[in-house]
Amino acid sequence: MVVLGVHPSSARAANESCDRACLNGFVDQYLDAVVAHDPSHLPLAPKVKFTEDGQQLELGDGFWRTASDRGTYKFYMDDPVAGQVVFFGTMREAGTPVSLVLRLKIEKRKIAEIETIVVREGMNPSRPTDTGAENFEKLGGPDPLFLEEIPPAERISRDELARTANKYFSGMQQNDGKGDYSFFADDCSRVENGMQATRGTDTMASGSSQRSSSSYGALAGCKAQFQSGLLHFVTRIRDRRFVVLDTEHGVALAFIFFDHAAGNTRTFQTPDGKTVTAGPTTPWTWEMAEAFKVEKGQIRRIQAIFHRCPYGMNSGWSTWADAMSDKARW
Amino acid sequence: MRALFVIGCTLGLLLFACAAVQTRRAVAAGEPCDRACLTGLVDQYLSAMVAHDPSRLPLAPNVQFTEDGVPLKIGDALWATATGLGNYKLYFAEPPAGAVGAFALIQENGTPAILELRLKVVNRRITEIETLVARKETTNFLNTDNLTEPRPIFLETVPASDRPSRQEMVSMVSKYFDGIEQGNGDIVPFDPDCIRIENGIQTCPSSASSALGALSCGAQLSTKIFTYIQSVSPRRFPIVDDERGLVLAIVRFNHPGSQQTVEVPGHGKMTMGRYSQWPNSTEIAELFKIKNRKIKEISAVIVTQPYKAPTGWE
Repeated sequence: MVVLGVHPSSARAANESCDRACLNGFVDQYLDAVVAHDPSHLPLAPKVKFTEDGQQLELGDGFWRTASDRGTYKFYMDDPVAGQVVFFGTMREAGTPVSLVLRLKIEKRKIAEIETIVVREGMNPSRPTDTGAENFEKLGGPDPLFLEEIPPAERISRDELARTANKYFSGMQQNDGKGDYSFFADDCSRVENGMQATRGTDTMASGSSQRSSSSYGALAGCKAQFQSGLLHFVTRIRDRRFVVLDTEHGVALAFIFFDHAAGNTRTFQTPDGKTVTAGPTTPWTWEMAEAFKVEKGQIRRIQAIFHRCPYGMNSGWSTWADAMSDKARW
Repeated sequence: MRALFVIGCTLGLLLFACAAVQTRRAVAAGEPCDRACLTGLVDQYLSAMVAHDPSRLPLAPNVQFTEDGVPLKIGDALWATATGLGNYKLYFAEPPAGAVGAFALIQENGTPAILELRLKVVNRRITEIETLVARKETTNFLNTDNLTEPRPIFLETVPASDRPSRQEMVSMVSKYFDGIEQGNGDIVPFDPDCIRIENGIQTCPSSASSALGALSCGAQLSTKIFTYIQSVSPRRFPIVDDERGLVLAIVRFNHPGSQQTVEVPGHGKMTMGRYSQWPNSTEIAELFKIKNRKIKEISAVIVTQPYKAPTGWE
């Protein structure tokens, strides 16, 4: 009886695992259903949970009502071990280009968790037309480096992958320019909402113009930006949830919130002695998903999609204590 | 401790002293916080906030604080950024409920913003702090230029004989929200000259160039131009100030974004407001002046939120 019982369940487990093609297939099936405004044919787990922009909604509400088409930018990040996939892509909402982050958790070939961030026109009044979608579509697709496999001998563990990517958040939070930023590769670059957020590489970052800048965005590479100490106004990077750890591709993806308290942390001293006042003037939080390409223990590429949300907001997937903590979880 | 105290008194030991202590305890614990006490706590709150020092407040141990619907630690958010107060301060209170609120102009890193504050006070300690902050950085729909002092009508006292019950006042206000949902101003007990001011901008009747702007508050609703507001839910009425005929409602307008145009008789097909364009909600603290059993004036603080974001107090 016992032996007979094991065989069928093993066979079922094999059938129920979901590889990369399976995970990406779920993303396509989901987005096609969204555009059709019809969740009824999706393979849903009985207790499926859906959030949009941090709010738990009924499936069929929110973007399900308004999505009008899929866009051309598609970037799938898979974690078959965790049964999770995150998709960065473009969509149309009543014809308007929007950027989308989608996370699906698949259990027994059913969708158990659906987490979305929809970056829409008007969500950031200072840049009312910047959804990032048009920028993404100009890029055509993800940086090819994200898609390259890491040679088996060079692959690192899931823990090490998460720990390396998390150094980015720890180095940025209350950045003082004095940390060990050797986790950045010299050719590291960052794209935010489809826009290049680094102006070159750190091999270019030695001129005097770099040192005299009072805006990190004018600096060349990832490391130079951190060494400048100019990101001090990012007061808290919290609720760090690493949901994709793809050791085969060296890709880590985290959902996080960047808080800018906007009080006395706005004025600070940089390592070269300058007193700088920078950052938002009101309490400000970015709701964000950020992907990292890690190779040989260093971060080479970063790509983020984000928008403003109420200051201090929860993701809908964490306790209040975890949501306020800057400790990484995976 | 309390048991020992009672036993001591019951035994008749130190009888006089026991009676005296008991009286003092009763006053300390149950002394009501009248209107002056409540509005004094609002003043104390605003001063402490600008000083970035919550330790100056009489806070209950389990005090809860939200800003824009998000639970936070006191000292965070506007507590870190408030740099000054303006002259505009409008207070309202319901002493029997230990409830007090205010609309106030504040300076935040030198830029004006509108604060809505609600406090709940138990035993003279603050147990609940609910705030909404309308900021120029997060909404284009805001004008603080006219917020120099409260409009006098909100300060008028209603004669005791003319005061409707709490339930009647809440019912009148709730009909306003029903009228929005149904696109029907006729079901709302509007005074014909009702005025509504939202984030410092008069929106009914308004002088805006919109063809419908000049209509009365009720007529505007009946055009159905607001039917992109699919629901006004949840609705709370935490402060009813019957002495002044005021009701504070804190509600969420839900805009699913699936209806962007409407057919308005006499005007044809019209595009509804910008909030109709995608799924979003607005959290609104709305103060109603009720006079002669009609809604005479409305003042609102509005913050745009993610679609169906909790207000933090459901």
